[in-house]
Amino acid sequence: MRRRRKDERLARVAHVVRDGRIETKDATTVLQALLEPGDRVCLEGNNQKQADFLSRSLAAVDPAFVHDLHLLISVIGRPEHIALFERGIASHVDFSYSGPQSLRLAQQVADGRVRVGAIHTYLELFARYFVDLTPDVALVAADEADADGNLYTGPNTEETPTICEATAFRDGIVIAQVNRLVERCTRVDIPGDWVDLVVVADKPYYIEPLFTRDPELIDDVQILMAMLVVRGIYERHRVRSLNHGIGFDTAAIELILPTYGERLGLRGEVCTHWVLNPHPTLIPAIESGWVRSVHCYGGELGMERYVAARSDVFFTGRDGSLRSNRAFCQAAGLYATDLFIGSTLQMDRDANSSTATLGRIAGFGGAPNLGSDPRGRRHSTQAWLEMTSSDEEVRRGRKIVVQLVETFQESGIPTFVERLDAVELGRGAGFPIAPVMIYGDDVTHVVTEEGIAYLYRARDLDERRAALAAIAGVTPIGLRASEPQTQDLRAAGVVAFPEDLGVRRNEANRTLLAARSVRELVQWSGGLYDPPKRFRSW
Amino acid sequence: MIETLTYEYPASQGVQQRAHVGVVASGNCEILLEPAADGSASIVVRTSVTGFGTTWQAVLKRFFARNPVAVRIEINDFGATPAVVALRLEQALESAL
Amino acid sequence: MTVLLAESFAERGARERARALLDAGSFRELIGPFERLSSPYLATQGVVPQSDDGTVVARGTIGAQRACVVATDGRFLGGSIGEIGGSKIAGALELARRDFERGSPTRMVLALDTGGIRLQEANLGILAVAEICDAIVALRLVMPVVAVIAGRVGVYGGLALSTSLCSTIIVSEGARIGLNGPDVIETESGLDEMDSSDRPLIWRVTGGRMRHEQGFASEIVPDDVAAIRSAVERAFADPHPLPALEAPAFPDPRLERDAFLRALGIEP
Repeated sequence: MRRRRKDERLARVAHVVRDGRIETKDATTVLQALLEPGDRVCLEGNNQKQADFLSRSLAAVDPAFVHDLHLLISVIGRPEHIALFERGIASHVDFSYSGPQSLRLAQQVADGRVRVGAIHTYLELFARYFVDLTPDVALVAADEADADGNLYTGPNTEETPTICEATAFRDGIVIAQVNRLVERCTRVDIPGDWVDLVVVADKPYYIEPLFTRDPELIDDVQILMAMLVVRGIYERHRVRSLNHGIGFDTAAIELILPTYGERLGLRGEVCTHWVLNPHPTLIPAIESGWVRSVHCYGGELGMERYVAARSDVFFTGRDGSLRSNRAFCQAAGLYATDLFIGSTLQMDRDANSSTATLGRIAGFGGAPNLGSDPRGRRHSTQAWLEMTSSDEEVRRGRKIVVQLVETFQESGIPTFVERLDAVELGRGAGFPIAPVMIYGDDVTHVVTEEGIAYLYRARDLDERRAALAAIAGVTPIGLRASEPQTQDLRAAGVVAFPEDLGVRRNEANRTLLAARSVRELVQWSGGLYDPPKRFRSW
Repeated sequence: MIETLTYEYPASQGVQQRAHVGVVASGNCEILLEPAADGSASIVVRTSVTGFGTTWQAVLKRFFARNPVAVRIEINDFGATPAVVALRLEQALESAL
Repeated sequence: MTVLLAESFAERGARERARALLDAGSFRELIGPFERLSSPYLATQGVVPQSDDGTVVARGTIGAQRACVVATDGRFLGGSIGEIGGSKIAGALELARRDFERGSPTRMVLALDTGGIRLQEANLGILAVAEICDAIVALRLVMPVVAVIAGRVGVYGGLALSTSLCSTIIVSEGARIGLNGPDVIETESGLDEMDSSDRPLIWRVTGGRMRHEQGFASEIVPDDVAAIRSAVERAFADPHPLPALEAPAFPDPRLERDAFLRALGIEP
């Protein structure tokens, strides 16, 4: 029956489609004729890549004909996504992240124009495409299509294969916007069998360079915390495989491996296998011989030539360009890494963390997945086993999950709070549970500028709370730490201050960065890295 | 509006010389440190980010409890977080010892 | 492949740049932070002043010859020049001229990293620039005056005018030399005239490489302390004669003032 429905829909637009191709000017007409009210539409809005021609075309349909769509989307990132709700084209959404549109999304929800099914982590959302959220129609973006509908998605492959597979194999309709038509694709990332309709977009699909951090903006405090991580965690636990959440603090870690990490003799011993977007700030470590492999969620503008030239490190196709895949990368980050490290805006005394702030509905992207302990894991590494200590015959290890935060945010507001804003936010928005990014009981380490709390070593809840308070500085939670108890925790190795790790605060300065500007990253890459305009100062 | 805050703490150790660190840039602060004759630590903070008196108090109290040095300190602040202030104080002290 | 990174000049603050340009161990600051000669005008405008007003004047030697380096700190209010900082610069230049007359010439280097005149002290900044320009020309009649524009801001406005009066301008690729900032040009004249978000465009028009190609800056250097030092030493050692500037007739400011008051009907 699903197949018949599909055939009927395609028949409706047969008169404006030739050989599976829609003319650019007919995109909105086709969408309006093909879609039906209440359809589940998966729109490719990813972290980096956006099928923006299709989203703009969709936002231009007449809501009298197409309304109350159920939108499935990884990232609500474009203004026209919000327009879908405003115009009544879509009234229901399931998604993972909405950073740039989080304020407007909250307003739409408050105005009753859209209902949020749930906020998911990426892998979870993709999983539901195969269970109860299979798309009726998928709108995706690719670089190239050939006459058979084969698609080349290149470095920014991201979600496309996952979305297409779920849709195609349950008789949904896959429509792809492409930058250009070709005789023969550079390589086949999506087979033509999975694709129903192709349209050449009015301009190349939009990509956001989200993972580039200018080394000029890294400050001494971030470098101090990076030293603590390298010494107190990577070295101590011999972390070989890892994932860095994006931020200036993790960029600082990447940039001190060739200097501070080298001094500690760690090259080849730690940080060999990475699950990471192609961060330009990893270039010095790659060039210095630290990195054996990197698997990427998506691409990064400007890194294309560098990645192609480093095909021994990155996953690349026979054509030479990067092949990314968010679903597999998220699975890799969950099961196949020793460690995840990321940051947050708020943390409570049990190390629950959230970036949810009042007035915004943002979601968390991949963090809840990456920052969780996968209890299905069965293979052991030194780092994984070290997280638990048990004489039991039957035992398991545990993933290292690190939260890296300064005690105060730039605004002067404490990071450590009694109660997450997320609790009230969840209630106000009618969510069944508070939007927590990473749960405290998954967190093994917290690092601040004051030191490291080795929470995995705490014997009970009180000790965990005391360890966290010991590094919470002069926040209200930190001020409640008792000096004698802090000293005991230091002696027991549950808390470490910089001096306990042999890290001198006065060494924390920018001379430790292997590259201190975007220009120097270009030099490290031998001219292969082409920074986008906004990062150039020459 | 500039807020001027003053603090004083008991001191038992001396420093050798004066020190100057930092810069009055956004998120940063400048610290001038000089030896004091009178066995106490006195601090004047000038800041354009007002209303954080309790936080300054907490940061300075903690620093001087750990480092009871007899000094006169001036801090010209443009919104440095406690992490930055603590680091600058450490840097100034190290140069002065 | 490891890259041996240069010792960056641009990474340093003003004090450390001055120290880097002077011979090792010869650095001696004049009116340093502990003199607390800071701007009297900022606090009332809700801005916290810096103890040295963002300008460092240091004596020492360059190539074993008496020298004085002025360096502005681009991180304090964009390196902008107000009354105190401007007076430090003008005063240093005037002292260098006086040193020459007394038989012990002082080599003068201006390591400028400034967005121009400080808006909060506009008129005093303009006056200071006038004095600086005056003093550069007076000194330049008798010795080279060397400008080093190698920071992250570059040099703008009245200080770019001052720079243009120097006998040698050494520039780095990352620095810019211009009058109005790109966002001001965009606001005043529109996006077609200047798209201030197009960073490569900004550097194509006002960046060090272009300024060198135009002949405005005679030398372009990498962001490397050793390279900049040696460019500075070459600028002083160069035996080429200074352009024959006729000593201009500088009017006596007091006579001008008297004439002005009389025109107002006031007996001076």
